[in-house]
Amino acid sequence: MPDLLIPRLEMSMTEGDLVEWLVADGATVAEGDPIYTLEMAKATQDISAPAAGVLTQIAAKGQTYEVGTLIGKIT
Amino acid sequence: MSQDTKTNLAIDPVVLTEIYRQMARIRATDKAIQSGLLSGRFFFTYWPMTGQEAIPAVVSQLTGARDYMVTTYRGIHDQVAKGVDLFKLFAEAMGRIDGVNKGKGGAPHISDPASGSMLTTAIVGAGAPIANGLAFAAQARGEDRVTIVNFGDGATSIGAVHEAMNLAGAWKLPVIFMCQNNQIAEYTFIPDYTASPDFAGRAAGYGFTGVKLDSRDPIAFYKGMQAVIAQVRAGNGPVFVEAITHRHGPHAGVGDSKDITAEALALAKEAWPVPRTRALLLETGICTEVELAAMETAAAAEVEDAIIRALACKITPVEETLLDVYADATVPPQRGIYPVRAAESTPTGETKVMLMAEAIGDAQRTALLKDPGVFLLGEDIGDPPGGVFATSRGLQTEFGKRVRPTPIAEQAIIGCGTGAAIAGMRPVAEIMFNDFAGVCMDQIFNHAAKQRYMSGAATHVPLTIRMIVGGGLGGTGAQHSQSLEAWLLHTPGLKVVYPSTPFDAKGLLLSCIFDEDPCIHLEPMALLRSLKGEVPVEDYRIPLGVAKIRRPGTDITLISYGWQVNQCMVAAEELAKEEISAEIIDLRSLVPLDYHRVLDSVKKTRRALVVHAATEFCGFGGEIASTINEELFTTLKAPASRFGAAFAPIAYSREIETNQIPNARSIAARVRQMIAK
Repeated sequence: MPDLLIPRLEMSMTEGDLVEWLVADGATVAEGDPIYTLEMAKATQDISAPAAGVLTQIAAKGQTYEVGTLIGKIT
Repeated sequence: MSQDTKTNLAIDPVVLTEIYRQMARIRATDKAIQSGLLSGRFFFTYWPMTGQEAIPAVVSQLTGARDYMVTTYRGIHDQVAKGVDLFKLFAEAMGRIDGVNKGKGGAPHISDPASGSMLTTAIVGAGAPIANGLAFAAQARGEDRVTIVNFGDGATSIGAVHEAMNLAGAWKLPVIFMCQNNQIAEYTFIPDYTASPDFAGRAAGYGFTGVKLDSRDPIAFYKGMQAVIAQVRAGNGPVFVEAITHRHGPHAGVGDSKDITAEALALAKEAWPVPRTRALLLETGICTEVELAAMETAAAAEVEDAIIRALACKITPVEETLLDVYADATVPPQRGIYPVRAAESTPTGETKVMLMAEAIGDAQRTALLKDPGVFLLGEDIGDPPGGVFATSRGLQTEFGKRVRPTPIAEQAIIGCGTGAAIAGMRPVAEIMFNDFAGVCMDQIFNHAAKQRYMSGAATHVPLTIRMIVGGGLGGTGAQHSQSLEAWLLHTPGLKVVYPSTPFDAKGLLLSCIFDEDPCIHLEPMALLRSLKGEVPVEDYRIPLGVAKIRRPGTDITLISYGWQVNQCMVAAEELAKEEISAEIIDLRSLVPLDYHRVLDSVKKTRRALVVHAATEFCGFGGEIASTINEELFTTLKAPASRFGAAFAPIAYSREIETNQIPNARSIAARVRQMIAK
């Protein structure tokens, strides 16, 4: 089941802020549900679940992470 | 219109099911890409095509792998439906060595001749002239293939599309201009970018059929495309299809578009042919829910398998850097590596005295006789006049339709040459003066030059481009007299030759025509109709990358090419009277470059001056002088230098022109200065 890494959604992006988890740790999500808010240099985007399952939050909100950082899992 | 009696639909249920199967594959691919990008599983730049799936899904049921396709960066749906292997497609998008193009083109540059996906461009509208070339090859060979070039409505504004439409109409080419009108040009809407939104209506202006088809209704779209493809396949000339669609996503990135209103997005989703076709299949009883779900599961599994395998592949390694730039990896210039290439053997057969222009005509005639894949195209090359300098005189009379006078449209000419070359022909394209290269530079340096590399050698472009270069006659002015070889030499993928004699012109041009890479044959205006020489009647070749010593000497090496070689020869005669012995090297071929013979000569003379008619600043001479200085620093008696034209446009005044470009007198003066130091 998918890992959630900080994606690179803008060509110039090297890091992003995990502003907020939109789904509680351990909650069940459907594919496509918005699960967290990511702030990049140019925009803020709600990131949707790549698959259905139970969300495990790994990284804390309110911090900046490098692209590729593991921030959660859906199992 | 035939109707299926079971369903009352105007389409065979099996065909509609297959259309949906392709939609499901495209949808699964799109979803997996967006999901993978969002979760950080992989990264590449994505131009989503969500909403446009029906167009290639329908076309896939009316065409086969023999039919050619050209598309754009927003073309993953086109690739999937055309039949590009999904593993190789994903591996390519991820820049992996096992990608369909060795990871060298990436998502926006797919070429897969096996499925008929011939070229994908990231330059808006640039595919249209190339599609003409593919269609030309099919027409010339009497094949019934059709070529479909996909582009968005934004591309209807660009010159390349207009040039291509005009040529396709004039030559009745079997090409379909498929405008996927998603109603937004990247970020800009009608009427901000055009006051002429009837795109299909424009075709009438070019003398062929234009139709507007609603791809949101796949059955009607299928019927419409069936008629269009039949018409084109039957040899009735091109058709422009304006396929109405929507783009749900942004120009680049993931998710829904923020460029259109929420209402517009909702309407687009309501009209979305993917769920509508699914509902129709259920409603009419053609498929059950179980069958549709199985189709979608199979598509998702095919995509997931492709992604897992692609992620396991190696990133294209650095060892690939110089591979596929040319067929031969020794061609790219590299510091410290100076290949020794064998010189030509001198032909011994019958010769004729020819002007350089006649030698060029003779080379083209020799090539036309030798290989049925050779054809000529260019402005005014038909008889009479056989080209503005008569370099193709008599050839249209002798070879008929293999010699094609073109519209005055350099992008159309080079694109047609590139497309036909990708299809395996050996086009020789003339654009008259090199000053016009600016008009078609995108076709030359973004497409012809890079196609081998970007396709990981899945395709290549054996195209020859002929250009008249330099002034020297006086009065041709700033737009017909330039020496622009440095523009071309700065582009990896091009080979550039520049003869100074009729003998070399024939031998070099024949080598270019039968080379597997795009070659530019520069033809000095000053010599075309003034310099005569003995030229063998037979087919002979001057190998690319072999310089020639025109005059032996001991005190300095003058390195030159084209008409400036002759200026150096006159200067050397003057200098000889003063006991200064100049050796003259005629490069003949600029890329590949014969540094081996250049360095050998300078080791002996210990002085070097590069002379060219091009602007000295940022010219080729600086490059060669720099290499000589680096390689032979301790040997040289004086720093190697360069001598080119003053940094000014070429003057209309003959007096200025003669003096702003190196000439025998000024070359001799520079040599005296260097010897005196």
